[in-house]
Amino acid sequence: MATVKLAGMGEIVWARGAGVLGCIGLGSCVGTLLFDPRTQMAALAHVMLPEAHDQDSFTTPGKYATTALPALLRVMEVPPALASRLKAILIGGGELFQNRSQTLRIGERNVELLHQLLRELRIGVVFEHVRGTSGRSFEFDVATGWIKVRTVGASAVATDLAAALGIQRRAA
Amino acid sequence: MTPTLNDLRTDALREIGNIGLGGAVTALSDLTGVLFTLEAPQVLQMDASTLPQICCVSPESLVVGTVSRVNGDWPGEGAFLFPWQSACVLWQILVQMQPSGLEELNELYQSVINEVSNIMLGNYLQAISQMTGFTLHMEPPAFAADMAMAVLSSILVEALYGQRELLAIETAFKTPAHEFKGYFLYLPETGNLEKLFGVLGI
Repeated sequence: MATVKLAGMGEIVWARGAGVLGCIGLGSCVGTLLFDPRTQMAALAHVMLPEAHDQDSFTTPGKYATTALPALLRVMEVPPALASRLKAILIGGGELFQNRSQTLRIGERNVELLHQLLRELRIGVVFEHVRGTSGRSFEFDVATGWIKVRTVGASAVATDLAAALGIQRRAA
Repeated sequence: MTPTLNDLRTDALREIGNIGLGGAVTALSDLTGVLFTLEAPQVLQMDASTLPQICCVSPESLVVGTVSRVNGDWPGEGAFLFPWQSACVLWQILVQMQPSGLEELNELYQSVINEVSNIMLGNYLQAISQMTGFTLHMEPPAFAADMAMAVLSSILVEALYGQRELLAIETAFKTPAHEFKGYFLYLPETGNLEKLFGVLGI
């Protein structure tokens, strides 16, 4: 079993060719993963909020949707003009507190804004498990393209994304 | 601008947590007939991205939580978190039954937890208001039952929205009579801290 690199709140992690990336306990946060079929590299940001309100977006760009995508591109060394070859996976953005009176709908706004920003970069979303009312954990295996999503009170659901991501598995 | 927290101010916040939750836990003891004890409150600062070590429950374990908006002179969010087994203890004491799992968590069970939160937060705010002369109002709680980390991060992220950093006053309470532990968090808007310290004369 490959080592799992978990992205904590606002963090960015990455792996090339092999390894497992994931997030634990996503509520309104969105695990935003980009995959580059050319280099077989994946990078994951644990996005907390839609847009930055202060200067800390320089030190923790993974925290905000608006700064996380440029930071992921930098990590992957893909210029925005070539970003259309990347594939995206989005997990999270749930609203766990249903009757919250002054709800800011942060989960929904995270998902909406990430979709918009990905569209602008012409990056296709190949898989998403977003919105709704439940928390989620997930693990993505960079070598095989399998993603496993867990929710409370249900068994983990595994999906094979190898074809959608352009992963060529070596013959066993 | 967030004021820096020196030792005196941290102590003051901790003491407010103690006094506030002392009142809240007395109310819970009256309600349930069980004696609850408090652990020493912790004051935690969350800056850019680090989630403080808060509420020692494992990240994917099932918890029941509420969060209520507090308005007035010391605005913020008040939140309660109960590990599933602890919530079952409350249900057993208060309505003499408990759900066998998440799928049985109906409105009755939710309203029990909401009512416990209401009573405890009400007493917490009353204790603070008596000490400071502040006027404080709370809104009805919102309820969630899910993975601990997902519930906690949803509470924290919303409280962090629009703020440079987040302050959390955490108090744990338990009872020797049952396998029970509950957590209370007060997440004040950091812009309003000076007002509190001014009233306390520090």
